[in-house]
Amino acid sequence: MTSSDLKSVLNFSSFRSEPDDPSAAWKKRFPGKRSVLFGVGRSSLSWQAIGKGGGTEDVETVRADPKEILTSSAASIKDKTDDGWCLVSMNTRYTISLENNLSRRPGSEELLKTNARSVLGGRYERGKLYAMTHNPETNSSLLVSFEEDQTRRAESMFREFGFRVGRICCGTYVLLRHALSVTNTSKGSDKPLSTLYVVLCEGAVCALVQDQDRWLELRSRTDVYDADISAVGDILAPFHARLAPEVGITLICDTPLSGVEEVLSSHFPGRAITDLSKPGLLAGLLTQN
Amino acid sequence: MQISGRFIDDFKTDRKGITPPLPAVLRLVPIGFYCAIAVAILLSAVFLLQYRIATQKRDGHRAQAGTLATQTANTLSERTALEVQIKKAINLQTWVSGSRPLQPLVVEISRSMGPKANILDLSLVRDEKAPAQVALSLKIGTDSVRQLDTTLEKIASQQYRAFSPTQTLGQGELDYRATLVRQGTKQTSPADPVQ
Repeated sequence: MTSSDLKSVLNFSSFRSEPDDPSAAWKKRFPGKRSVLFGVGRSSLSWQAIGKGGGTEDVETVRADPKEILTSSAASIKDKTDDGWCLVSMNTRYTISLENNLSRRPGSEELLKTNARSVLGGRYERGKLYAMTHNPETNSSLLVSFEEDQTRRAESMFREFGFRVGRICCGTYVLLRHALSVTNTSKGSDKPLSTLYVVLCEGAVCALVQDQDRWLELRSRTDVYDADISAVGDILAPFHARLAPEVGITLICDTPLSGVEEVLSSHFPGRAITDLSKPGLLAGLLTQN
Repeated sequence: MQISGRFIDDFKTDRKGITPPLPAVLRLVPIGFYCAIAVAILLSAVFLLQYRIATQKRDGHRAQAGTLATQTANTLSERTALEVQIKKAINLQTWVSGSRPLQPLVVEISRSMGPKANILDLSLVRDEKAPAQVALSLKIGTDSVRQLDTTLEKIASQQYRAFSPTQTLGQGELDYRATLVRQGTKQTSPADPVQ
């Protein structure tokens, strides 16, 4: 036992999660600390300051190469943080797919991070990072994958500008899971929900069709829209013909987008739209969990 | 269907040496440590306060002891002075008591002096072994032997008889020595010598 160990016990830091501990919630890792949520797109970078109490400021988005943006703005953005800690939402170069018959052995979700081949079998691709969410009622699962090199490049890019990356995640996937958890709250319900989940996050679009307890179809694209969200309708339009007339739309965005409901209404006339979006939603989910 | 949205999948890499937080119950260790420090400080303050009070009391007692010692020394010196005075008084009383039988003899010797004579020295010493005998030593300032005769007559009138008399006549001084023995009465004088 060293003096630093004794010091960490006496100042109670040993009883808190380490800042780089991914298993702990962000608010436990950085209690009372300011941080920044970055959204990394193919040719855009957004950032949103998160205050000590978890409050968020408005999102600032710049359309340019993220590295060039950081070169000019890193110092001012870093002033919004304590010790440079940040979260990164990767909004490009990921894949979300709907898979069937993935391994559901106990601990398989943790095993997916360390030995993905043993969980995915033939679906495994070398050099990729995976995460998955099982449908508890059927054999289907949501599978998200990242290029490992891409996350390493993102880490090194932020490290180069003095930031300390505490978490890298897929914002679209986080929002989709949140929408699923909010709308599917009762186990074995008599009237399970049927809806079309539409997730919009920093130019990425993901749509999932849920028919009662079954996940039928998923479509995910990145870098679909910039300021003009009309392109979203083109991605979603094919679903209209395949949905039952009574099926509504559950919309969730990282932050409320003006005009998105009009776009959806134009492509899905007569369908009810439930909007789960609220300001700072993605930042809140990432810092509260 | 229930799906938890509370878990965030993290794709960050290169996490090494991450240690889980210690169990919350072990917070009692630093809490106990700080409590022990607080109690130690409190007890030290109490002990320091008591030490100062005790020191003040000790110094007060020492000062009081010093004052009492001084008073005792003064009292002892006064007592010693009083004892000296008492001893002197007792000696005086003893001398007075012891010289009372010889006072008529001394008075007669004094009265026997004529106009041209005076007593230069008079000594009456009673022998402790023979209290009835008194050694007389008388020095008279005179040129006449008759003065001695007058004095001897007065001594004889007090029932004293002189034995082994010696006299020396010098220049204006007559030195007479003899042993006086009281005649006819039993001697009851004190044993202490009188000078």
